Amino acid sequence: MSIIIDILLAILTVYLALQSLLVHRLTQNVFLFFAFGLALALAWVRLGAVDVAITEAAIASGFLGVLFLDALRDFSDTSSKKWDDLELVRNSLHSKNPKSLFLPRLALVLGLLLFLFISLEAIWKIPDGGGLTAAAEAMLPESGVEHPVTAVLLNFRAYDTWLEIGVILLGLLAVFTVGGIKIYRKPQAITHDPLLRQVILFSTPILFLFGAFILYFGKSGPGGAFQAAVLWGAIGILLYLGGKPIFTVIPRWLLRLILTIGLGFFLLLGFLIIASGGALFEYPPAYAGILILIVETLAAISIAAALTAIFANLNQMTEEPKESNQPIE
Amino acid sequence: METYMIYSLTSAVIFVIGIGGIFITRHFIKKIISTIIMGGGVFLCFVSFAERDAQAFADPVPHALVITGIVVAVASAAFALALARRIYQLTGEESFINDK
Repeated sequence: MSIIIDILLAILTVYLALQSLLVHRLTQNVFLFFAFGLALALAWVRLGAVDVAITEAAIASGFLGVLFLDALRDFSDTSSKKWDDLELVRNSLHSKNPKSLFLPRLALVLGLLLFLFISLEAIWKIPDGGGLTAAAEAMLPESGVEHPVTAVLLNFRAYDTWLEIGVILLGLLAVFTVGGIKIYRKPQAITHDPLLRQVILFSTPILFLFGAFILYFGKSGPGGAFQAAVLWGAIGILLYLGGKPIFTVIPRWLLRLILTIGLGFFLLLGFLIIASGGALFEYPPAYAGILILIVETLAAISIAAALTAIFANLNQMTEEPKESNQPIE
Repeated sequence: METYMIYSLTSAVIFVIGIGGIFITRHFIKKIISTIIMGGGVFLCFVSFAERDAQAFADPVPHALVITGIVVAVASAAFALALARRIYQLTGEESFINDK
């Protein structure tokens, strides 16, 4: 019975992946991508990876989907169809002989088939090494938390997680550079519906509490800093769209502090541990639990602020430079 | 046929769909979606091997790596999206069709 569920889910995932690339209207692409991410999250629940499922549903499907939806304001859905017509015209102009397109396509299909067989071969021939499960289980009592994934993320391989927070900050800086936005303005696409604004204000504390719960629950079950960060980032995005952008309220030095405190505290902690004679991120087992909680909280605050800032920045890219020079207030 | 085998096979198919999409599609957004789908295939492969090596619980190291990977993929996709929108604003192009 469970095999049938798995097979159906696998077929659904492959179908959604294909459809999200094959349909012509961009709106459909984006919504099918949402659906693909959620189907993949279900697959991860079936594989027992609940942490990964939450992260996938929240960040890869939810947050990225919101960014894509926002980008659709630029790339209107009719333009995709217009482009298809353009392609037909260009193809008929440039390739007088229709056979000239046949060879590249054949090469592409053959290459993909070859790639598929190589990856299938690699998957079937993996040796039974047993993985690192036994090692992780043996060290779990010393990690300060009870959930093995959290222990790996924030204790055994804390170096990875530290760099990951850095990558998010780097992504934000890259988006800043591309967008060229110097100051946060009030968004123009805000809602004027009073009911919606009240609902956003009402849901803010609920989201905050739920995020805090997930953050704390990461100690003993699925959850943790990244999942909580997305919920808190959702608060920032909702407030932004509801006409109460956080970043225009707080001073810039505080924003910079919030954005870097996760990375900075993690690094400071690592240096302090080195100074006291340990290796980088080798927490003393007696204090590991509380240290991990502090690091997770600060990292979640930083990531939430970074996600909100990425969204706000991408959202403001649509306004023309001419308009931004005019006095808005 | 065990659960992890089904998802291992699926991961190869999803990876190939993604890499094919990168070559075949033209529009920026479709290309970015293709890279995310390709990454999804790799992550699915990792997690299915974690399930294969499960003892008391599934191997937590691939899970942690995949969580890290998802967040990094999203950060790079956000950057790609920013680049795509900037290109569209400056040139009006939606794809790499114009080989100037």
